[in-house]
Parts: sequence; structure tokens; C-alpha cells
Amino acid sequence: MRTLSSFLHREVVTESGRSLGRCYDLRGELTATTLRVTGLCIGRRALLEHFGIRAQKPQTIVPWEAIVRIEGKRIIVHDDAPAP
Amino acid sequence: MSGKEIDIGLHVLDHQLLDKDGRRCGNVDDLAIEGGVGEVPEVVAILCGPGYWGPRAGLVGRLAGWIGGGRKVRVPWIEVRKVDSAVELKRGATELGLGRGDDRLRPYMDKIPGARR
Amino acid sequence: MSKALGLGLGIIAAIGGFVDIGDLVFNVAAGATFGYQLLWVIVIGLIGIIVYSEMCGRVAAVSGRAVFDAIRERVGFKGAVVALVSSEVVNLMTLAAELGGVAIALQLLSGLPYRWLIAFAVLAFAVVIWVTTFEWIERIFGFGGLCMLVFAVVAVKLGPDWGSVGAGFVPHIAHTNRVLYAYFVVGILGTAMTPYEVYFYSSGGIEDQWSPKDLGLNRANAILGYGLGGTLSFALMITGGALFLTHGIAPEHLGTVALAAEQPLGRLGLLLALVGILFAVGAASIDTVFAGAYNLAQFCGWEWGRYRDPRGAPRFALTWLVLLLLALGILMTGVDPVLLTEYAVLFSVVALPLTYVPILLVANDKAYMGRYVNGRFANVLGLIYLVVIMIVALAAIPLMIWTNVGQN
Repeated sequence: MRTLSSFLHREVVTESGRSLGRCYDLRGELTATTLRVTGLCIGRRALLEHFGIRAQKPQTIVPWEAIVRIEGKRIIVHDDAPAP
Repeated sequence: MSGKEIDIGLHVLDHQLLDKDGRRCGNVDDLAIEGGVGEVPEVVAILCGPGYWGPRAGLVGRLAGWIGGGRKVRVPWIEVRKVDSAVELKRGATELGLGRGDDRLRPYMDKIPGARR
Repeated sequence: MSKALGLGLGIIAAIGGFVDIGDLVFNVAAGATFGYQLLWVIVIGLIGIIVYSEMCGRVAAVSGRAVFDAIRERVGFKGAVVALVSSEVVNLMTLAAELGGVAIALQLLSGLPYRWLIAFAVLAFAVVIWVTTFEWIERIFGFGGLCMLVFAVVAVKLGPDWGSVGAGFVPHIAHTNRVLYAYFVVGILGTAMTPYEVYFYSSGGIEDQWSPKDLGLNRANAILGYGLGGTLSFALMITGGALFLTHGIAPEHLGTVALAAEQPLGRLGLLLALVGILFAVGAASIDTVFAGAYNLAQFCGWEWGRYRDPRGAPRFALTWLVLLLLALGILMTGVDPVLLTEYAVLFSVVALPLTYVPILLVANDKAYMGRYVNGRFANVLGLIYLVVIMIVALAAIPLMIWTNVGQN
């Protein structure tokens, strides 16, 4: 089991070592009975969004499928994951 | 199956819990997520209590959580009726093990005259 | 209850809630030191509290969130812990100061020893809040607090130079003693925008089950209630200026403030002033102790409510009881309530951004507020005040040290 808080503020890094910023939230899909996790909200715009400040461009979402592994304080994602 | 897109940290985490009678019975202190890399991850439970919020605020939080009794309550996501400005539950707080502090204190309050108006 | 009656009671409560020991201390002392020169600062503080109260009342009506719910959801758990601890510390200091003020008013009315009266006052508040419904508390203290209006009569009777009173409403900087002047600017703004007022106000809106239908009521309550409360602040400063500046007295003791009413109006004036102070500061004590309990309960997700009996919200009731006892402990050390008031106001100024920033953020959030988000008017004012708040928050402690808490 993981907890939501264990994802927050973790650094998101690609396999080749490029940092995409921190994960500020998880994107989910809410249905009547389930809440599925679909992606990571990363970068400064995600943080602003969290404070209720909407930027012109939408925040960057890295889909869950792009995650390669979760290690220590970092989340490693595929190289072709969307960058903010 | 398509649902509503939400930012979980923003719209669920730290929100008020209401039981079936609208009683305030805690906050969403954390969420349990099941399913790792390569799987379809899902939120399986609401985590509630000082044992869960303590670790979220560093040393001070741990200390406060320890003073608060370190209690941990796990409410399966299936018990959720509705996610609105508060998270509404399908059953009563006592049944789910929530709001215990208020329940424990109430008999003492009752002994003092005027507690019931 | 009819709408008009509800509004009337709300306004009366707001008058009592606005004028607290901080207003008494800072406005009269500012009048005694700088005459009418600082009247404009009251206007600025007044508009600030109206803007932010309206905002958090609207957030309560539309989204059903009290201020501390919003803080925890928005600034994150860690930030909320900081906000909670600092607001509880400031609240406790304010509560102790208000209760000290109540004890002084009782002492001047009865002549009994001050320490006995502190214990009596705390016990009396505990019993009253425990057994009385909030409707009655609000009415009794609201109407009692109206006696404060005697200061409006006093201010007129003292025959101030209305030309210089008018000039005081124009923002300007003093020619001499600028540091002390700045200290008073910070203090007057801080006491007008004390955070407990918005905590109490927004939680009340939720308890009264406000919905978007009640937004007009919210606006009227904020503007009229605080507006009338502000009139009393003007009267206090004018009284301080007309009486103490010309006579060269510094009103170090709260009793001197009440004595101001005796000169033009005799014994009856003094009595009304003391009763008014007793009830206004008493109402502020109750608002403050509830604000402290609201914050903790909302942060932890407990059951809360001023209309709930102790049985219905046990941990909330325990919290306000403990806060009253802690305040009693602080006062029993023999600390001077007037000095305590100054510290409480200045520390609350430092913590102001922690309260007001989240309110502004939530009031702008479409996901919460839908079509009731802040309009341009509220946002421009809100942002201007945010800048003002940041500046005074940074300036408060240096000014406190520099002026030796307003002593020179």
C-alpha cells in the first residue's frame, strides 16, 4: 500500500536523469464507486493550480503508465513523458 | 466507464468527513492507494487519525500525533457516498470507528448539569 | 425570525464584536498622543475587515467551508499546522487581554479586588457559555455593548475642533515622532482586522446555514455592522484627542478611558461607559474563545458549533473550557492587560497573512465558488489589502522593539 501523501512533493525524473519538477497532486477519475489514479500533476503550474491560481496553459499531467519505478524520494518516468 | 476528472490532493485530501447523519467525524488525513507500476492504481481507503496526519508534518507533527494518541482509522473507499465540499459516508461514524474522541468525552460532559440544552 | 430582525441582531452583534480591548487601547492612546491625525487609519482598517469578512462570508455561503477548512485544504497540512499554532497563540493572548479588560471594568464598577474579579469573570463566562444558548448570549452582550454609543455623545460634547477632525481623515505622515506614529498605524490596522473576527464570522455563516440566497444579508451584515463598529472607533479616538491631548494625560489605564465619559456627562456617563466596555469586551471575549475552539475543531474535523450544547460537540466544548482556564492562568501572573493587549495586537498583525491569503485564494477559486468568485472590485481591494497586510506584518516587530511597545 502507498499513501497519497507519499507522492506529494516528490521529484519526478526521467530515465535519462532529466528533472521534470515535483509532483504536487495526483489526477484521478471519480465514479460512483471508485476513485482511480490516472496521472501525476507536476511542475510549478500544478503548484499554482493547487493554490487556486489558474495559469493560461493547463498544468502538466504525466500519465500513470509513464512511471517506470518509484524509488526513495524520486519517481522515475519514461523519457518521452510530457514535460512542463 | 468514464468518471469525473479531479485532482485528488486538492478535492479529497484534508476535506471534512460527514457520516450518514451529517455528523462531522474527522478529516481525510491521507488516502491509501493500491496498485503499483504497470497496474491500474485505485484509492482503496480513507486514512484518518493522528497516526496518519502526524508523519505528514515532520518532527513536530509526529510529536503532536503521538500526543494525540496515534490512533489510525481506515475507512474503505466503498463506504463513500459522495465527494463534494465534504466527503460524505454511507454509514454512521460510530460504526466506522470515527469520531471516537467526541463519543468518549460525551458521558463526562453529561455529568455536568446544563450540558444538554 | 424575520429577515429584518435577523439583520438587526447581526448588526448589533457586529458592533459588539468589532469594538474590543484592542480598539479601546490603541484608538484612545493614539488620540491622546497624536490627536485626530490617525483617524484615516481606522477607515483603512475598517474597509479591510469589511472586504475580507464579506469574502469569507461568501465562501461560507457558497462552498460551506469555514476559514480553517479552507486553510487546511489550500496551504497544505504543514502550512495549516503553522497557521493553527500561531493563530491559537495569538487568540489566547487576545482572550487573556479581553478577560483582563472585563475584570478591570468590573473592578471599577464594584470596587472589589482585581484578582478575585478575574477568577469571577472566567467562571461566569464558563457558566454562561455552558448553560445559555448563543442566541441569548448574542442579544445580552449585543444590547449591553450598545452602551458604548455613549462615547459618540462624549466625542461630540467635548466639542473637538471639527476642522482638524476632518483633516485627520486625510492620509498623511506626522511631522514629529514618526516611528511612534508608524507604531500606531500598525496597531490600529491590526486591531481593526483582528483575525478572530473573520474566524468567528465565517463559522457563524455556516452555522446559520447561509446559502447563495443570503449573500445580500452577508454583505449588509459586514458593511453595516463593522461600519457602525468603526464609528465607535472614531469616537474613541476623538475622545482621546479632545480630552487627553489637551490635558497632556496618557491613558495608561483602561479606567481612564471610562473616566473620559464622566467629564462631559457626569456619573451617568461614567456608568454607561463602564457597562458598555464590560459588555463589548465581554462579547469580544466570547467571540475570541469560540474562534480558538472553531480553529482547532475545524482543523481536526471534530463536531463544532456555538449553537450546539456541550453534549452535541464535546471536544469543541472542552477546547473553549481549556482556553478559558489558560487565559485565567496568564492573567493570574499579574500581567498588565493593557500591555498584553498591545502584544496580542502586534503578534496578530504578524500572523495576519496566514489568515487572509487563504481567504483570498479560495474566494477566487472557480471550482469552489462557481459564479460567485471574487469580482474585479473585491480582487483589486483584496490584493491592495494583501500588500498592506504584508508590509505591516513585516514592520510590526521592529516597530514594537524600536518604540519599546509604544512607550516613547
